[in-house]
Amino acid sequence: MKNGIRKRKAALSTLASLPLYLFTLVFVLGPLILMIALSFSTRDGWDYTSVFTLENYAEVFSGMYLKTFAESLELALISTILVVLIGYPFGLAAAMLPKKMSRFIYTMQVIPYWVNSLLRLYGWIIIFRANGLLDKLLMAVGLTSEPLKLLYTYPAVVVGMVYVLLPFMFTSVYQVAEKLDPTLIEASRDLGAGKIKAFLTVTLPLTRPGLATGIVLTFIPSMGLFFIASILGGNKVVLVGSLIEELLMKSHNKPGAAALASVLMLLTAAVCALLLRKPKHER
Amino acid sequence: MKKKILTFILALTLIVSSALTLSSCGSKNEETLNLYTWAGMFPDEVIAGFEEKYSIDVNYVNFDYNETMLSKLEAADGGDYDLIIADDYIIEAAIAEGLVQKIDRSKIPSITNVNPVYQGQFFDPTDEYTVPYGAGVQTIVYDPAKVSVDIKGYSDLWDPSLEDSVGIISNYRVINGMALKINGKSYNTLSEDEIIAAGEKLKSLAPNIRLIKDDNIQDDLLSGEVSAAVMYTSQVTLAKMTDPSLEIVFPDEGIGFGIMGMFIPSKAPNSDAAHKFIEYILTPEIAADCYEYLGYYCTNSAAEEFISEEYRSFLTLPKEFTSENMEMIGNISAEADTAHLNVWTEFRALCD
Repeated sequence: MKNGIRKRKAALSTLASLPLYLFTLVFVLGPLILMIALSFSTRDGWDYTSVFTLENYAEVFSGMYLKTFAESLELALISTILVVLIGYPFGLAAAMLPKKMSRFIYTMQVIPYWVNSLLRLYGWIIIFRANGLLDKLLMAVGLTSEPLKLLYTYPAVVVGMVYVLLPFMFTSVYQVAEKLDPTLIEASRDLGAGKIKAFLTVTLPLTRPGLATGIVLTFIPSMGLFFIASILGGNKVVLVGSLIEELLMKSHNKPGAAALASVLMLLTAAVCALLLRKPKHER
Repeated sequence: MKKKILTFILALTLIVSSALTLSSCGSKNEETLNLYTWAGMFPDEVIAGFEEKYSIDVNYVNFDYNETMLSKLEAADGGDYDLIIADDYIIEAAIAEGLVQKIDRSKIPSITNVNPVYQGQFFDPTDEYTVPYGAGVQTIVYDPAKVSVDIKGYSDLWDPSLEDSVGIISNYRVINGMALKINGKSYNTLSEDEIIAAGEKLKSLAPNIRLIKDDNIQDDLLSGEVSAAVMYTSQVTLAKMTDPSLEIVFPDEGIGFGIMGMFIPSKAPNSDAAHKFIEYILTPEIAADCYEYLGYYCTNSAAEEFISEEYRSFLTLPKEFTSENMEMIGNISAEADTAHLNVWTEFRALCD
């Protein structure tokens, strides 16, 4: 009797999750397979034919495209490192505060993200542009005497990237650190560990899952966020994302774009796997 | 129950009455012209004037991209629409697919008003299928207060005094085309060697590039972020209307341009109305209103004198420009296009 109910329950839950499986198959796996198939197809003018070729990949691994990958990877790594350096201590410190204060900071951190990120980036243009807020501030303080060229530079792109990605790190770290039992740290101090040792042996290992999630949530999008480079960098930093867009929209080269997208996906997955590798003693 | 019935009757009355009012104010005329083009191509008065003069209603349908238009037209098998306005390169594709009908020139006496520079071009070499409506012309715009060189042509953009102060659009055929023109080559060359040689020339422009942007680049010229720019015609018009002190240069090396063309689909339900509309739009005074509104170059020679003084410098070509020193940017082979994209990507990476 009991067994029957259990079976029915199992059947029901399978039925309930069926839409999810179907959705994943049709809208995630399907397009992915299509893209990979497309990347092995032959270009034919603005269209393509289903003749197998490796030429699209040969093109991807030619010197110039590789340079673009290196540039994307570099920007993603710089952004991720900065986000870790700023977001991790920030999330940790916010979680350690008294409950009310901590919630307040968390909310204040999240509220701006209710606004579309594109709009917030335009805010940075107002700050960075010639005779903009930052220029006026620097001149008022007397540090500079004439407008600087701040907008459309590499540092402006990095600021934009860090700004857009920071909440992913903050939120991940905050949520893990909030559940951290402070008595564990006290215990380690009682047992003679210094501040640094207590951090390295207790706090860091216990908040690692949050840090790891934060890194993945930062790194993956940062490989694809080319619109920041175009808005704040004046399109001068060539990222793989923008190259895919140009191949698709301007060059009408669908197989080439698919090959580039496939390699980008593989590369991002590989870097994530590398970052998320568990330390030896935990395996 | 009673209440429900009452609500139902009330709703029904509302729907019927609103449908009646809608239909009564919608079509005062029996004939309709289905016009399919981008939004904002004609001033409202011009459309209203046509409706009144010919007693034909205009059903204005928009598309965003040329490609959308072509796929809709393919789906309709050349039907549904009476008149379409789109870009040159897509018209070439539509004609090749047999979706366009020949224009009956006898129904359009004003066709002689069309500026010959914009005729006989690659997408319709014999002018059988299209009538131009506006052209994009590639110029250089600069702020004389911020630029110390006298810019006469593309090569002046290479001047070291313009370091980190030039803005360009990201259309690589236009930008690589500047270097091709300096080298004395065609925009539409299929020779990869010529494209690569132009790329080498282009690379040395990198230190002067401050910004590559397609949307609203005129704002960066107006705010002083860049002091000289190569941009789209509509952007030049906007910039010049905001700041008349800006200088517009028709480059020495030769001018590239694109055309928007009117055409009648092969199975247009009312091709007669389409012919009437073309004739109406070619009337010089009306055409002048249209081009001032549109902000693209006037393709109607007879209309030029009706374009007001403040617009004339950037909506009409100087007299010395003829088909001799002007060249359309047309469709090229996939190989040549790939060579262009490679040159462009390499150049873009150097700009940083």
